[in-house]
Amino acid sequence: MSLTIAIPKGRLGTQAIEMLKSAGVGESIDEKSRKLVFKDENRNLNFILLKNSDVITYVENGIADMGISGKDMIMENSADIYERYKMNIGRCKMSVAGIKGKRVFNDDTIIKVATKFPETAKKYFNGKGQKIKIIKLNGSIELAPILGLSDVIVDIVETGNTLKANGLEVFEDMYNISAMIISNKISYKFKRKEIKEIIELIRKEDTE
Amino acid sequence: MNFLNIEDEMKYFQKMFLLRKEIENYLYEEGYLNIEPSIFEGYDEFTGINSRINRKSTVKLLDNNSEILILAPDITTGIVNKFLPRWEYGKKLKIFYYGKTYKHNGIGIKENREMGVEIIGEKNQNTDQYILSTAKQIISRYSNDFLLEIGNSKFLKGIMQSCSFNKEEYDNVMNLLYSKNRQDLKDYLSNLPFKNAMSTLLNILDLEGTFDEIKEQVEGLYLNELMQQGVEELSKIDNYMKNITDKVTYDLSMVSELSYYDGIIFRGYIKGSNKEIIKGGRYDSFTEQYGYKIPAIGFTVELDELIKVLDKEEQR
Repeated sequence: MSLTIAIPKGRLGTQAIEMLKSAGVGESIDEKSRKLVFKDENRNLNFILLKNSDVITYVENGIADMGISGKDMIMENSADIYERYKMNIGRCKMSVAGIKGKRVFNDDTIIKVATKFPETAKKYFNGKGQKIKIIKLNGSIELAPILGLSDVIVDIVETGNTLKANGLEVFEDMYNISAMIISNKISYKFKRKEIKEIIELIRKEDTE
Repeated sequence: MNFLNIEDEMKYFQKMFLLRKEIENYLYEEGYLNIEPSIFEGYDEFTGINSRINRKSTVKLLDNNSEILILAPDITTGIVNKFLPRWEYGKKLKIFYYGKTYKHNGIGIKENREMGVEIIGEKNQNTDQYILSTAKQIISRYSNDFLLEIGNSKFLKGIMQSCSFNKEEYDNVMNLLYSKNRQDLKDYLSNLPFKNAMSTLLNILDLEGTFDEIKEQVEGLYLNELMQQGVEELSKIDNYMKNITDKVTYDLSMVSELSYYDGIIFRGYIKGSNKEIIKGGRYDSFTEQYGYKIPAIGFTVELDELIKVLDKEEQR
């Protein structure tokens, strides 16, 4: 039975492809080429390379049977998929940050939150009982508090260097993030053995 | 469904009409009687019973006493509310219906056609088997590439009882099971006081596949009475199913959006479709709010999804 696997382009994808290759799967994948679909005839696998945020869409709609996606994307989309394996790659945190020393957090007023992850931020602050106003941004989130667009930001923090370089600091860590192997729910019923086999291959390469 | 031209639309309606008629005829010949479900439900009543339902997704309206009503997101709830207050002891109903359900899906109101089957007031070993065979008859008529998935909510209920979670913990665990997220489940449970049943909960995501595989996995795990009962019921079902089809798989961690299921739960899939075609189960305890427990079991057939699958196969 053929299996279609969605892989995100970018750093996460590169690491995942390395793992697959050292497990002897997906020899034909060539990230440098402009091709977006690759086949592994021996194992009857198709690989499709997608933008990070589109992996979930393809898997949820059953075009891809399984895929690799960041937990941040999964939370933001509250996608109806299975999260079958949490990988050791793509590890970081989703945090609340703001201008160093200016912690307006837990104030009685409504705080302005700039973020790429409006749904996740809403859910988090709602759980804390903190009233907020969301400002949706698509990049350079760090600028928002500096230029006065927002009080705080909710963003992915890896090393904290970008924050530091811009005079910001983490106020609170929200969630641990890492790459997940996800699968379509119905595909999993029909192709459980095949999907589990791929997960097992990756899991062996993933132990650090 | 939107169509560019009238001809396509007429074709679609004729197909839907014939499909409906075919299934209705089959059910009527099998001795199921037809009823017409109501499309309104009380908001508080409905969400009180179905606590896992997404409240935002219900389509609300007001009656002239300013009571909030919703357009039925599920038909079984309405049927129970309709018949149970007038129930007579010893009565048995074997019914089918055609109806529409309504939900907000973020873009607009989604209307969904379904055919449903219920047996209320009868429970013996044969009832579960009989309803599963009805489901199998319907789905196998439309595809050879189908799969029936069977679980038993008693197993999970048994675990949850022994773990005595509070509401928040319960919801979190259910959500992790819903997405089959093993590692996060383990992390989450490790922060809670240990209970025996947790050891089984940690392994529940492995309890899937053929029944023989599950039996092997269950061996040595902690089981309380209710969990044991769940496994035994499935074992009997499996003995029966082996005679009628091999396209069956079991999943003991099956979680349903509707929380009234109490016993066997099942779903039917067709390859190439991205939604359940059939879903149902036993819901005896659902009737308890009327003061007595009446056995009940049923399922629905998603007609909109089924017709999509048939179209796809036709084009091939």
